[in-house]
Amino acid sequence: MTVRAATDEKHLRARFEREVLPLLPSLYGAALRMTRNPADAEDLVQEVVLRAFRGFAGFQEGTNLKAWLYRILTNTFINDYRKRQREPATVEGPEDVEDWYLFDRLGAANVERSAEEEVLDRLPDEDVKRALESLPERFRLPVLLADVEGFSYREIAEIMETPIGTVMSRLHRGRKALEKVLWETARARGLVDDERDDGRM
Amino acid sequence: MGGCDEPECRQILREVERYLDGELDPEAGVRIERHLSECDPCMRRASFRRHLKVVIAERCSEREAPSELAERIRALIDRLETADD
Repeated sequence: MTVRAATDEKHLRARFEREVLPLLPSLYGAALRMTRNPADAEDLVQEVVLRAFRGFAGFQEGTNLKAWLYRILTNTFINDYRKRQREPATVEGPEDVEDWYLFDRLGAANVERSAEEEVLDRLPDEDVKRALESLPERFRLPVLLADVEGFSYREIAEIMETPIGTVMSRLHRGRKALEKVLWETARARGLVDDERDDGRM
Repeated sequence: MGGCDEPECRQILREVERYLDGELDPEAGVRIERHLSECDPCMRRASFRRHLKVVIAERCSEREAPSELAERIRALIDRLETADD
């Protein structure tokens, strides 16, 4: 290796450590929500960081590094990990969930103002994580990327290699499905005093 | 529906998801904000949705990766570099 190439590589590695390694916690969190178990999440993140390291020379400085990493994460998860995952059998498609599902139920169960928001606050962290993880992957990924990671619709479309209209529709349906799971969790926890007839659910 | 049966309310509530996602153009955003400031039932729904987004963001993220993972990754990168030389 020439001196010049060695210096370039040293700079590249320093930049990689400076810019990519601080994103490990957020990559790990997303990987955990994708794979739903810590061992797979660690393996997935490791694989993603190695792929990113190998491709880093081709990554254009100044463009969206986080979106680039999440695209590698999503691709690696879908191609290498999804087959190992078993989708939970209990969650059906969210087609039957109406808009404002959770608000309307919490509003019916609690009369006080802001009581709806307090119910959300009282849900244990683990329950909210499990609720997101229970969604089928095609709905879970857009909700994760939008609400947890803060990506825009356009960025999600690029990360998932999906048309933006599909992202919007899956995000909308995924959120409704999540509201339904959260409602069921709140009821199971006894956080709401629900007396309405749920025959239509 | 908590008082939100007016056509304007229905229209606003359809757009509020994109508004909270920061995906509406500024003019549409101003229209939503004006309506919310004048319509308490819609404001309550929008606040609830905003709160739900915050709850999901805060509860579903991880503050740190396991320390062994960071170490493992550094060691792997070191080994890769040596192998490439």
